[in-house]
Amino acid sequence: MRSLLLAVLAAYLNAAIHSILAFVNKRRSLLRVAAWSIAAGFVLHTGALVADWFIDGHYPLFNLRETLSFLAWALVAVYAVVLYRYRAQALGVLTMPLISILTFVALVMPGEPKEAPVGFSSTWLFPIHTTLLIFAYAAFFVVFMASVMYLLQERELKLKTFSAIFHRLPSLTTVNELATASAALGLTLLTVGIATGMIWSSSRDGRIWHNDPKEIFAFLTWLLYLSLIIYRSTAGWRGRRAAWLGVVGFGLVLCTFFGARLLGGYHVFG
Amino acid sequence: MRLHRIFTRVLEVNINNGMSIVLVGINHKTAPVEVRELLAFSDEACAEGLRKLVDGDVVREGLIVSTCNRVEILSAMASDQLDTGARRLTDFLDDVRNLPPGFLTKHLYSHTNEEAIRHIFRVASSLDSMVVGEPQVLGQVRHAYSLAVEAGTAGRVLNRLVHHTFRVAKRIRNETGIAANAVSISYMAVELGKKIFDSLKGRAVMLIGAGEMAELSARHLVNAGASRVLIANRTEDAAIRLAQAFNGVPVSFDRLTESLGETDVVICSTGAPDYIVTEKMMRAAVEQRRNRPICVIDISVPRNVDPSVGNVPNVFVFDIDDLESVISSNIREREREAERAELIVQSEVMQFQQSLRAMDIGPTIGALRQKLQELARAEMARQRKRLGPLTTEQEAAIEALLMSTVNKISHPVLNQMRRSYEISDSDTVQALRDIFGLEE
Repeated sequence: MRSLLLAVLAAYLNAAIHSILAFVNKRRSLLRVAAWSIAAGFVLHTGALVADWFIDGHYPLFNLRETLSFLAWALVAVYAVVLYRYRAQALGVLTMPLISILTFVALVMPGEPKEAPVGFSSTWLFPIHTTLLIFAYAAFFVVFMASVMYLLQERELKLKTFSAIFHRLPSLTTVNELATASAALGLTLLTVGIATGMIWSSSRDGRIWHNDPKEIFAFLTWLLYLSLIIYRSTAGWRGRRAAWLGVVGFGLVLCTFFGARLLGGYHVFG
Repeated sequence: MRLHRIFTRVLEVNINNGMSIVLVGINHKTAPVEVRELLAFSDEACAEGLRKLVDGDVVREGLIVSTCNRVEILSAMASDQLDTGARRLTDFLDDVRNLPPGFLTKHLYSHTNEEAIRHIFRVASSLDSMVVGEPQVLGQVRHAYSLAVEAGTAGRVLNRLVHHTFRVAKRIRNETGIAANAVSISYMAVELGKKIFDSLKGRAVMLIGAGEMAELSARHLVNAGASRVLIANRTEDAAIRLAQAFNGVPVSFDRLTESLGETDVVICSTGAPDYIVTEKMMRAAVEQRRNRPICVIDISVPRNVDPSVGNVPNVFVFDIDDLESVISSNIREREREAERAELIVQSEVMQFQQSLRAMDIGPTIGALRQKLQELARAEMARQRKRLGPLTTEQEAAIEALLMSTVNKISHPVLNQMRRSYEISDSDTVQALRDIFGLEE
C-alpha cells in the first residue's frame, strides 16, 4: 500500500504547488492542474483506504497512522466540496500543503500491526462514530480557514490598506457563508458522532460518559459551535466576533484531537 | 561567371517580395494635446486617408488608429521600398493636415518590423496607455481595423498582424493582473462592493447628494448588477431627476437611518459642511439590518460621514483620501503586472515573426531556384571532360547559357507560385512544392 500512498502524496504535492503558484501569479490555468491533481489523488487515496481495510481486516481508522491518512482524505473531500460550491481556491494554499504533510507523516510512520481489540471490528458503530468525527474535524478546519480569511480582510478593509494577499482572497460574504455552512455541517456531524459514541459505549459497558479528556473537550467543542450557530442565526451575530469564535473553536478541536493522547484516558488506542 | 551573378541578382530583386511592417505615430508621451488634436482622424477622414495612402505600389496595406491619446499609422510595404514607404507615411501625415514639413518630426516615432509589431501589441494590450490596463484601447484598435477592412486596405499581412494583436491583448488580460484593480474613484465603489458582497447582483445602493462623481459611481454599480437605487437629496428636483435616471426611489433626509438599514452600498457626496451620517445613525441601521455589512463611500469634502462611523462593526467607511491611496497602490500593482505582460509581448513578437516567415514565399522560391541551378551545375560537372580544354570566356558562356535556360524555364513556375501565394491559394503553392520535391 505504500507505493499507492506515495502516488497519492505526489498528486497532493502537485496540487499544493499549483495552488500556491496560482495564488501568487493569479493564473487560472494552474488551478485546473491543481483540481485534476486533487481528483486523481482523491481517487487513489480512496483506493488505498479500501485496500487497507481489506488487507488489515479492520476499518482503516484505528491507529494514529491510519487516522492521519483518513483525516487527509476527509480534508480533501471537504475541500473539493468547497471548491465546487464556493470557488474558494485560496483555501488550497494552506490546505493542500497540510494535506500533503498529513499524508507524508502517514507514509513514513511505522505501521503498528496490532490487532484491533475485540469489539472494535464486530460493531458497525465504531466506523460510523470515527468517520463522522473525522469529517466534523475537517469541516471545523474549513471554518477556521474561512474565519482567518475573514479576519485578515476585515482588518485591511477597516485600516484601508490592502496587501497583495487581500486581492487574492474570496470576498467577505463568501468566506462568511463558507464559515457558516461549514460550522453547521461540522456541528451536525459532531452531534451525531458523539451520539453514536454514547450508544456504542452504553452497549459495551453500560456507561455513556467516561469523563476522559477527549470526551470533555469534545463536549466543550460542541457547546462552542452550538453557540456560534445559535448566535449567527438568531442574533445576526456575524462578522469579526463570529470569525474569532471560529478560530478559538478550532483550538478546542485540536485539543480534542491530540489532547487525549497527551493526557491519556479511555480514548487512547493503538 | 560574373554574368550569371548579375542575372540572378536581377531575378532576386524581382521575385523577393518580402513585406515589411512599418508603424509611424504620435502618442501622449511624445506630443502634447495641441499636436495630437491636429492629427486626430474622424471615421470618414480615416477611410479617405487610407484610400489615399495605400496606393498598392509602395504602401500595400494600411490601418489608422486614432484616439485622444494617439494617432498611429500601421502599414505593410515591400521590404525593398522601405525607405520610400516610411517617408511616404510621414509625408502623408503632414499632407493630410496641411502641416509645414518637419513640424511633426520631433513628435513622431517610427518603428519597423519587430519594433512595429511590438508597438502595436503593447498599444492594444494597453501597456502603452496613460493608465496601464485601461480597457478602451483594445476596442479602439478593433474599430480602426474594421475601418481598414471597409476601406479595403487591410491585406494579407495586416490581417494576420491584427488578429495576432487581439490574441495577445486577450492573453495579457487573462494571464496578468494589469486590468485587475480599480484605478478611478468612481470604479472603487464597484470594487469595494465586490470585495465585501462578492457580487453586486440584487444589492441596494443609496446616493446621498447628487454629485457628478456619485452619479458615475452609481452608474457603475448598477451596471455591475445593483438592482435598487435609493436617492436622498436636499433639493427635491435633483432627487427626482436622479430617481428617474436610475429607475430609483427618492427618500427623505428625515428617514435616512431607516434607508441606511436597507442599503448595502452608500455613496455620499453632498456640499453640506457637517456630518450627515453619524455613528449613532449607523449603529441603529446596522442593528436593523442584523449586522449585515455595509460599505460607505464618502467622496464629499468636507466629509459628510463621521469618521467614527468606521468604529461600528461590519461597517466599512472610505473617504476620498482612503480611495486615493488605494488607487495609487492599485496603480503600482498594475505596473508590477505590466512587467509580466512585457514578457508575454516579447515571446509573442517572436512567435509572430516566425509565423510571418513561414508565410513568406521568398525562401521557397529561393530553394526552388537553387535546386534547379544545382542540377544544371551537376550535369555540367559530369559532362565537362567531354568538352575538352576551353578558354575562360567559353566556360563563362556555357555557365551563363545553363543558368539562363534554367531561369527561363523556372520563371513561369515561380510567377505562378507567387500569384497563387498572393491570393492565398496555398494548395497550388504546396502542389508546386511537391512537384519539385521541396521540403516544407
